[in-house]
Amino acid sequence: MKRNLSPLFSAAFLLAFPVAVYAVDISVDSTSIVRFEQRDIPGSSKQDIQPFTQFLGLDARKLGDGNLSLHLYGWGRADMGDTSYGDSKTDGNLTYGYLQYRFEKTDADIRAGRFFVREGIINEQVDGISARTDLPFGFGLSAFGGATVHTEDLYGENSDGKGDYIAGGRISFRHKGLLELGISGVYEDTAPALVNYVNGTNRKIGADIWLSPHRAIELVGHSSYNTETSEMAEHRYLLNLRPATGLVLSGEYSDQREQSLFYSWAMFSGAAVNPGDKARTTAITASYYLDKTTEIILGYKHYNREIGNADRYGGDMKLSFMDNRLRGGLGYYYLQAGDNFAITGTSSASYHNLRAYVMHDTKTYFSSVEALCRLFDEKIYGEDTAYEAAFSLGYHITPALALSGDISYGKNPDYQDETKGLVRLTYNMTYDNKGEKK
Amino acid sequence: MRILQTSFMVVLLVGLFIFLVSCAGMKGTPNGYSSHADYISAGQQISCSECHEDQQKGTMKSFASFNHSAVFVKNHGHYAATDDRLCASCHKSSFCTDCHTNKTEIKPSLLYGNRPDRELPHRGNYMTLHKIEGKLDPSSCYRCHGRSNNERCMACHR
Repeated sequence: MKRNLSPLFSAAFLLAFPVAVYAVDISVDSTSIVRFEQRDIPGSSKQDIQPFTQFLGLDARKLGDGNLSLHLYGWGRADMGDTSYGDSKTDGNLTYGYLQYRFEKTDADIRAGRFFVREGIINEQVDGISARTDLPFGFGLSAFGGATVHTEDLYGENSDGKGDYIAGGRISFRHKGLLELGISGVYEDTAPALVNYVNGTNRKIGADIWLSPHRAIELVGHSSYNTETSEMAEHRYLLNLRPATGLVLSGEYSDQREQSLFYSWAMFSGAAVNPGDKARTTAITASYYLDKTTEIILGYKHYNREIGNADRYGGDMKLSFMDNRLRGGLGYYYLQAGDNFAITGTSSASYHNLRAYVMHDTKTYFSSVEALCRLFDEKIYGEDTAYEAAFSLGYHITPALALSGDISYGKNPDYQDETKGLVRLTYNMTYDNKGEKK
Repeated sequence: MRILQTSFMVVLLVGLFIFLVSCAGMKGTPNGYSSHADYISAGQQISCSECHEDQQKGTMKSFASFNHSAVFVKNHGHYAATDDRLCASCHKSSFCTDCHTNKTEIKPSLLYGNRPDRELPHRGNYMTLHKIEGKLDPSSCYRCHGRSNNERCMACHR
């Protein structure tokens, strides 16, 4: 019953506000997609699927006294051929739908409805209310509370494994553009017991930092603590050095206690993970703009888990010409990983990853070509190569309305022969209160 | 449990104290974020410091921190977690929810198949690779897919 109330809760908030329309700006973003896909999975009969999916976003600003806005986004799908996924030929979702009142001082705002909260260690979708404000002396406050947005029931269960209500917030302090410290926490209702999975309640606290004692040095990251397991869940930090214009040298470090981090990830029975399992990654990346047209990126990452170690290294080059209308990229990475990371039946997880693309935009048409190739050190299901080539061509019918089509062909260990195509109609427009386009 | 209750109580009291102490000065704190949507085009590589060099004031962070270099794009989550109001100067919420959402229909790299320049995850067929990458770094799956109970995941992960 509680679960059915969540969308009603959001809708009630949206309808309850008396919305006077004065100098309202309305922005509409619509993407209609018809996909054409032929699936040929070894051991199964061929499938032809043609799902039609409509994505629709609406942002109405300057409502009421000018500080109120409404934001909606969601999608719906109807299958015109074979069922594209699951048992139903239709599906849909309200991604977010909220009213926001933004105050004229202190960057304060209040949101009510369905929205995402990303504050410090918090990353949640909520049907409820949130508020935040900057305060004098560099302090800041944010808080939220409401009903958890439930998702699909887990297999064989009558629950998605989440509690029914959730609350949390963050307190922060900033000093002169040199330092920001934050403390955040999330508290979710006790998770329901499951039959086929081991489940845990989502309750964490954490701290985050941004430190830049000099404009060429920046440290950013967070640590989180799982109060259910009484153990640190994660440390995740990034150090950026900018010794010269256009050059960024970056070092990443993360350390995780997997049970505490995945404790409420019911689908993988995160609460049942061995309490001693740890994971650690360290990475170095260098990004350098040779000039306005060319960026070169080199990277190395080391993975360490209980089951073994792995390394990934390689680089990318990004190109931009003709005032950004012609863009391209090249990339190569190699993953060196042993048998513990390999797919069942193989003894190596190592593979080369190559990618190249080029795209061109004009006022009338736009196009792109992309090629991907993966070379496995050891054959997977009898294949040592996976590749895909994709081509996209589009036409601006008006500056706001564009029709485009993509087609791709690929072959990989899971799909012997994969041909996909889609037709996409996009409409992005903002109207002012007189109905005129902006 | 007790630690959490105590922590929340402390955070609540500290927050209330800070709020009360600083309420008197709030009128003098202007908004710091404004919309840039009218003069930034899609696909433009953003370098905040090109226009805002030397405009850092008060508690504002260095604009160089938000230049959209490859390093920034790859690690944008760190910045969005503390500065999403700055993100909202240019990006609508849907820009985030294209990837970071509980339920989506089309993977982002297919939805924006005409934008190979965007660093969208899982390009090409990812079915084979996820069996390797998931073992390598399950937290990278968890950040987007954790607790969303994606039907496609559940088809095999029962």
